[in-house]
Amino acid sequence: MRTFIQALSLLLFSVFFIFATYKLPNWLPADIYLRLDPLLGLNAVFAAREIIGRVLWALVTIGATLVVGRFFCAYVCPMGASIDFLDFLFFRKKKRLGLKAEASFRRAKYFLLVIFIVAALTGLSLAFLMDPMALLTRFYTFFIYPLVITVINLCLDLLRPLFQALGWVSLSHLHYFQSVYYMTAITLLIFGGIIALNRLVPRFWCRYLCPLGALLSLISPLGLFKRRVNEDCNECLKCQKTCPMGAVTDDPRGTRLPECIQCRTCAKVCPQKAITFPASPSLGGEYSKVDFSRRGFVYSLAGGLGAGFLAMQTPFALKQSKHQLIRPPGAIPETEFLRTCIRCGECMKSCLTNTLQPCFWEAGFSGLWTPKMDPRLAPCDQNCYVCGKVCPTQAIRSLSLEEKTHAKVGTAILRKEMCLVWAENKICLICDEICPYNAIVFRPVEGYRRPVVIASKCNGCGFCEQRCPVKGDSAIVVVPNGEIRLKEGSYIKEAKKLELDFKPDPGDDKFILEESGFKVEDSKKGEGSFTPKEKPQPQKNQPNKPKGFL
Amino acid sequence: MTRRKFLKTAAAGIALGIAGSPSFSFAKEEYDLAAISGEPAAATKKALEALGGISRFVKKGQRVVLKPNMSFARTPEFSATTHPMVVATLAQACMEAGAQQVLVLDHTLQRAELCLERTGIRDACKTLSGVHVLALQERKFFGEIKIPQGKVLERVEVFREILDGHVLINIPVAKSHSATGVSLGLKGLMGLIWDRESFHSQYNINQAIADLATVVKPQLTILDATRALASGGPGGPGEVKKPNLIIAGVDPIAVDSYGVSIVPWYGQSFKGRQVEHLLISHQRGLGKIDLEQLKIFKEKV
Repeated sequence: MRTFIQALSLLLFSVFFIFATYKLPNWLPADIYLRLDPLLGLNAVFAAREIIGRVLWALVTIGATLVVGRFFCAYVCPMGASIDFLDFLFFRKKKRLGLKAEASFRRAKYFLLVIFIVAALTGLSLAFLMDPMALLTRFYTFFIYPLVITVINLCLDLLRPLFQALGWVSLSHLHYFQSVYYMTAITLLIFGGIIALNRLVPRFWCRYLCPLGALLSLISPLGLFKRRVNEDCNECLKCQKTCPMGAVTDDPRGTRLPECIQCRTCAKVCPQKAITFPASPSLGGEYSKVDFSRRGFVYSLAGGLGAGFLAMQTPFALKQSKHQLIRPPGAIPETEFLRTCIRCGECMKSCLTNTLQPCFWEAGFSGLWTPKMDPRLAPCDQNCYVCGKVCPTQAIRSLSLEEKTHAKVGTAILRKEMCLVWAENKICLICDEICPYNAIVFRPVEGYRRPVVIASKCNGCGFCEQRCPVKGDSAIVVVPNGEIRLKEGSYIKEAKKLELDFKPDPGDDKFILEESGFKVEDSKKGEGSFTPKEKPQPQKNQPNKPKGFL
Repeated sequence: MTRRKFLKTAAAGIALGIAGSPSFSFAKEEYDLAAISGEPAAATKKALEALGGISRFVKKGQRVVLKPNMSFARTPEFSATTHPMVVATLAQACMEAGAQQVLVLDHTLQRAELCLERTGIRDACKTLSGVHVLALQERKFFGEIKIPQGKVLERVEVFREILDGHVLINIPVAKSHSATGVSLGLKGLMGLIWDRESFHSQYNINQAIADLATVVKPQLTILDATRALASGGPGGPGEVKKPNLIIAGVDPIAVDSYGVSIVPWYGQSFKGRQVEHLLISHQRGLGKIDLEQLKIFKEKV
């Protein structure tokens, strides 16, 4: 029964994860598991210092835990389910190495919890490091998802000759877009490490490390259902040995209530059928206390403060307002963004083009795993606005398509010394061709039509940077200059105020002719530092022709 | 075998050859071009009819590649992509002529799925069995061919289907192009190749297009000029004119040359000879460029 619910929950988590694409319907909360996570909620609310609507979902989890106890870990948590499943797969028959001084390890999770909460209070979002929902979503995003695509594509390639022979046209041309991410290897190492710890003790992570478990265990002794052992107990200690959480005390009649996750494994294995889980409103008793030393508390308090302090003591903190990263459209102002973002990776998973990538050290310690746009890799598609839709803390605001179009992420700048047209007089127009907003126009300069960016029409989508045929770095790059980052209010209004216009409207190509495109006075020739050496060829004697016409 | 029998058989063979080869079949070869004005579907049908029917190009059991322009994720009214009804009408005609399958192919500039969705081409062909609309973005679907007559290109990677004997029908849309002046049939063939970027960055694009045209030769070109993007091309948005024309022909340069003449581009009238890539291709013997030499069938439906 428990295994079934667990599997169902993991499946549900996976299904929501799969649904997080640009086709996500508005009514479907693909990020629901992350919203239900009270630790991520607390972390975001404390760090951002304001109430975030979506976070209120976590009250459901808190409420349910108050009523039932710490059932979440055994039945709902997809991380717990993954650990249990992989544990069964790898370590079922192994003799566990065990752990000495168990009790002190048990405290670790509370210390971590305190560190994270205190860090959040200082404005540093840190819980993402160890929150199970964030961890698992990241693992899915950066590892499972690309892996599945790779495997599917390999299978398709393998079967392709067969499909061709059978004349199955669609299948023989089927290929899925392969997402790639910068941090896949690290993600795998972290997740692998968590699983490997099970070699020591089952559910090592949940027992000793999980800060979400710690948070829930603080309130779980208030829950209605509690383990009770009746007089049939013959002290065989079977329950104590099998309890995945080590929640059974030396005297098998006792239960460490904060640790009990209501999995009822003990009741199942008890040969005497002496264990029941009746509803009892009584408050805990001797084992309901969280064992937490004062010294440990003070240390972790200091740890949290210290982490918050250290995160601020890097030059990145001062440069936050001048950061160099292109953030997703609708990302709230940088400082608030870093505080609110829980680094779950959902935006990067759902991103249509794969432009959203995790930061490693680009934004400093406080910016680990935050999403950035990598326009050289892929652009931001003008038809997609899913990243905000799936953001559980609204660090990226959920916007309508129209609003998102106006959420300018930066401005393209042309690096003339690299541009094929400016530097080499080549007939290249790809940036103009691909620009969805007609923000790139050709102007006659030094007897030749050359691309120019109109900043007020550029919303930084990055199509030009991605498509630029120059090898290596692009000759046209998006910089954060001119980005619009609003905590609230309309981007459309803001863009209007700034006299920006991102409507794809007829370009001013007509001015190629009207302004007599190619006729340039001799006196002006040779001006500027990027004068082409050879004479431009194509417009010999017909000065009034657009490119390509003779 | 007696001499008489041999002669008889030979004569019969020659007669069959003459009757079977389209160049000698009457009435079908009468016109170089068909320029039909009317609604996309009706005009397309009429244009095929004027050239001798689709069966002249597509035989029973053959596999057909249709190459529309669906490179941009734009709806038909932008005129950056081929009208879905032209594609669907032609695809249906091919199937009715007994084609084994029809592949509607393009290597799109913008994201494939969005292109298929926005252009309306996938939707228009949805109900036609045997017709598959695909935007292939992976190199594994391309294969290399040599270009013996290439001036700037020695080899190019094109869709594998082009290499293995599919009938190729090019269905470009009429639009302006900021590098090549216009983008019609010949320029549209760039949608069949893998590495388009090098045409812009490495080579003289006009020469490269002519090089490509020496090896990729569509059996038929049907230019969708029901709308024409007279400026702002190739992606638009720009000035959309409504010539309401379907121009079909076997000679790709003749079709393009006529296409140049139908609307002013960037507000100025041009002839085919004034378009560099057309002129180069013409000079390399790939087709006729002067409209005066062409027999054109014009009709309104």
